Amino acid sequence: MELRSFIFRRLIQVVVIFFIIQTALFLLFRLAPGDPVERMVDPTMTPEDADRLVAVLGLDQPLWTQYAIYLRNFFQGEFGTSFYYGQPVVEIIWEKLPNTILLFTTSIILSALVGIALGKIAAWHKGSRTDTWLTIGSLVTHTVFLPWLALLLIWVFAYKLGWFPITGMISEDVWLDPGAGLWAKALDIGHHLVLPLSTLFLIHFGSSLLVMRSSMLDTLKEDYILTARAKGLTDKEVRNRHAARNAALPVVTGVGLGLAFSINGGALTETVFTWPGIGRELVFAVSHADYPLAQAAFLLIALVVLVANVIVDVLYAYLDPRIRY
Amino acid sequence: MDNGERFDTSRMKRSHWAAHFLEGWSVFIQNPLGKAGVGLLILFGLMAAASVIPPWIDPMYRPMTGVDPEIVRSVGPSLKHWLGTDFMGRDLFSQLLAGARIAFMVGVSAAFMTVVLGTAIGMTAGYMGRTVDTLLMRLADIIMVMPTLLFVLMLAALFGQLNIWTIVLIIGLFRWPGVSRVIRSQTLSLKQRPFIEAARVAGASHLRIIFRHIMPNVLPLSFLYMTFRVTSAITIEAALAFLGFGDPGTVSWGMMLQWVWKTGHMFKAPYWLLPPGICISLITLSFYMLGRAMDEVLDPRLRKEEDA
Repeated sequence: MELRSFIFRRLIQVVVIFFIIQTALFLLFRLAPGDPVERMVDPTMTPEDADRLVAVLGLDQPLWTQYAIYLRNFFQGEFGTSFYYGQPVVEIIWEKLPNTILLFTTSIILSALVGIALGKIAAWHKGSRTDTWLTIGSLVTHTVFLPWLALLLIWVFAYKLGWFPITGMISEDVWLDPGAGLWAKALDIGHHLVLPLSTLFLIHFGSSLLVMRSSMLDTLKEDYILTARAKGLTDKEVRNRHAARNAALPVVTGVGLGLAFSINGGALTETVFTWPGIGRELVFAVSHADYPLAQAAFLLIALVVLVANVIVDVLYAYLDPRIRY
Repeated sequence: MDNGERFDTSRMKRSHWAAHFLEGWSVFIQNPLGKAGVGLLILFGLMAAASVIPPWIDPMYRPMTGVDPEIVRSVGPSLKHWLGTDFMGRDLFSQLLAGARIAFMVGVSAAFMTVVLGTAIGMTAGYMGRTVDTLLMRLADIIMVMPTLLFVLMLAALFGQLNIWTIVLIIGLFRWPGVSRVIRSQTLSLKQRPFIEAARVAGASHLRIIFRHIMPNVLPLSFLYMTFRVTSAITIEAALAFLGFGDPGTVSWGMMLQWVWKTGHMFKAPYWLLPPGICISLITLSFYMLGRAMDEVLDPRLRKEEDA
């Protein structure tokens, strides 16, 4: 019951924040130097088509009316037409959204889980050689420059060793082959996913590991750990059931706070690997002055971050009942 | 109260601060992370300082405009070009040195702005409370969920090429919420202390309380956050340059990586691909290590943990 009202409150907040971001973006697009019509209407369109689009987007109306039309269009999924692709923006981004979510969620979940598991070990064997190497390793991978790491991985594992494809998400020969089953296709995507996923994983697991390590060290000093030991529980039980469960909470918070940062990294990874996601689409749209596409891609990315934030918060509230009150 | 009876608080405070600083420094420098961080940063500082030398020896070593007339393509390291040349025959070593200067410039100035903003907003929110607090913190929430890099990209699309100071300014404007949250909670706990109450009873104004009594106590924390913000500012600028939206008039390490990537040399020219990436990664690592070592100085709990 409590959890439900907590979720409800967070959802309201998210809607408000999204609304504000949307408004800010609207104002930026309308008030930036240059003609907003030029920004939203493809210069290669016929005058009739252009006029029709101006009417749909309300660009000939005063600012307030434009804003109302903008909001209405948003709920109807009308974002205009991409200059580059010449097809409705909404179709392009819907197509790209699952690819981004696949890469984003698997990398975040994987790096948090591995970070928690390794951080637990590092804290438990504090001062040992394992601890030192894990700490150094996570410091280095956490601060390495992401696009460069991606290029190195491509160079070594795709170009030199040839273990993985250099770019893209699917191989045409598999997908055009009518005999290929669902399993073969999934395997093909998985094969393409390895390197981008490794890039994001390497960048992210370090911070989870470091947070887990220090929070685990704090937890181990608590009285209830002493009690657990005094009861005669084995080391493994004390470590995994009593200490690690509580110590993992700050990791969840850290992941939540780092989501916006993670999506930056996701966009860079998608761009270097030409992974067909929204982040890459945004970078592409910006370099080709494809404003309608850029605007919609940015809004969708903001939405992904916000929704992920709520999921992390709910997870946290579920794990730690204290914060719901 | 008679003025003559007053303690000379200013002198006391100064010696107190000096003692604190020395103690902190000794803890800091004993920490292996702190040592490594300072060592690396001195190295990068030397690189930045040395960046003026090559162009002075020969104009062909100018990082942006100097071209070796005998070489108009990328070749590997030689005596004349220690790290080789890029696709136009420009010297990579002098570009690398110039990149160190840009990294310091961007990192430190953006971080400084972030921290000044974050500290001011955090103190105001924590001290004023109520509506001001709510408004400022909701604003912080909104900015916090914005992916800074992607937002700067959008601005680049709308406003055209951004110059390096505009990039610094935007990073500064977008990275304060984390700092202000920490400073706010510190201010909230300071507000409850008797010496603030005493100052208020003695008739000190809000501004005086904030700047004379609260600020000295939150500054060490702000300083700590500054080192972490340097890291993120350098990374954002490098990523922006890498994607092709950097300041076209500067040679940063991100720019060098963009050139090697876009001209398709990344598999052919390791002498070009490796150095800038190593430099960006190492400079962010050293600021990060510096921050963690300072964390230990400021939080004695962490110190004890290492002794145990």
